[in-house]
Amino acid sequence: MSSRKGQKSANRVVREQIAREKRRKRALWTSVAAVVVLVIAGLIGWSVFRSQRSDTFTAPPGANDAGNGIVLGTGKVTIDLYEDYLCPACRQFQQTSGPTVDQLVNEGKAKVIFHPVAFLNRFSTTEYSTRASAAAGCAAKGGKFKEFTDQLFARQPAEGSAGLSDDELIDIGAGVGLNRDDFGACVRDGTYKPWTERVTDDAGRAGVTSTPTILVDGKPVQDRSPDGIRAAVEAAGK
Amino acid sequence: MTVTTERRRARWAAARPWFGIAVRLGLAAVWLIAGGAKVDDLAASGRAVNAYQVMPYDLAMVIGAALPFVELALGLLLLLGLATRLAAAVSAALLVVFVAGIASAWARGLAIDCGCFGSGGQLAAGQAPSYLPEILRDLGFLVLAGYLLRWPRTPFSVDGWLAGEPAVEDDDE
Repeated sequence: MSSRKGQKSANRVVREQIAREKRRKRALWTSVAAVVVLVIAGLIGWSVFRSQRSDTFTAPPGANDAGNGIVLGTGKVTIDLYEDYLCPACRQFQQTSGPTVDQLVNEGKAKVIFHPVAFLNRFSTTEYSTRASAAAGCAAKGGKFKEFTDQLFARQPAEGSAGLSDDELIDIGAGVGLNRDDFGACVRDGTYKPWTERVTDDAGRAGVTSTPTILVDGKPVQDRSPDGIRAAVEAAGK
Repeated sequence: MTVTTERRRARWAAARPWFGIAVRLGLAAVWLIAGGAKVDDLAASGRAVNAYQVMPYDLAMVIGAALPFVELALGLLLLLGLATRLAAAVSAALLVVFVAGIASAWARGLAIDCGCFGSGGQLAAGQAPSYLPEILRDLGFLVLAGYLLRWPRTPFSVDGWLAGEPAVEDDDE
């Protein structure tokens, strides 16, 4: 009687042990599967990103040696301008200090390297930052980079909108004297989109994290007012 | 005295599964929203990581590209209730890293957006960073992850279905 009872409870202990072991194994395998899922997800992200990148790029005529900006003027002091065509603070900078920068270039005191970065693609529904920058590359090819850039800032679309369409960009280009057919084809084909990517990447590599960023001979300028820019250039030119 | 604690315990036992599923789905939503906001512009996500200035640019771009997908996968695991304890542990680890990153950006005087739910990167001049709310928010998420670490079993979960057991169960997995 008592031995049968003992037998029963021993059986139960064994059964429980087996069940516990089974549970432990199952938990282990689901954990392993979940880790695999997470690792694969990360790898997918990496490969999607890689596939979005282009390996080669062609810089438009008028670019600097590194190929990541358009050079304007020949002055001794270098002013690097990192701007996104969609960035309101850049438009404001162009309006208030743009004439001063132009003057410094015309006086032969400074040259500008303009880096049209595409930081703000998520703030338009059509990747306007990339399209505008690539179109500016097309304008550089036609020798009208400065004129086109000024027009794009004058007609800057609002953040969150669709931005200017390719047709509107082409109209603006034709308006500043670019050949409508050549420029239009270049914009529509996105000829300089890989270049825009390079410009943007190099800016990040150089530690530029926001637009506008203004460097005078490599040093960031905090005071972006006309006086601040002029003072920085004159200090660097001494 | 003992009667009220007893009753309270019984009430908690009845409420816990429902509380648990709310926590699990809440944390799932956090990851799905955070990942979804970043997944459409992986380069920008990479730049947001780079803005913390704690790793080389190219590594930041890789992390920035992988992170949204890992967040989405975590969200899915939690939504399904699959490997809940592991997902909670990884969530907690990620959140600790995020909090540390924001705190270090704060300590170094950087002016960046945490990039937690998209955007990210340097703030415009004159815009003040909101590090404290960002850290408090992440600590709140950390509490959710901690709860699931302690009580991973919730109703309507794949874990429960695999176990073939009722939802209310002991805490041994």
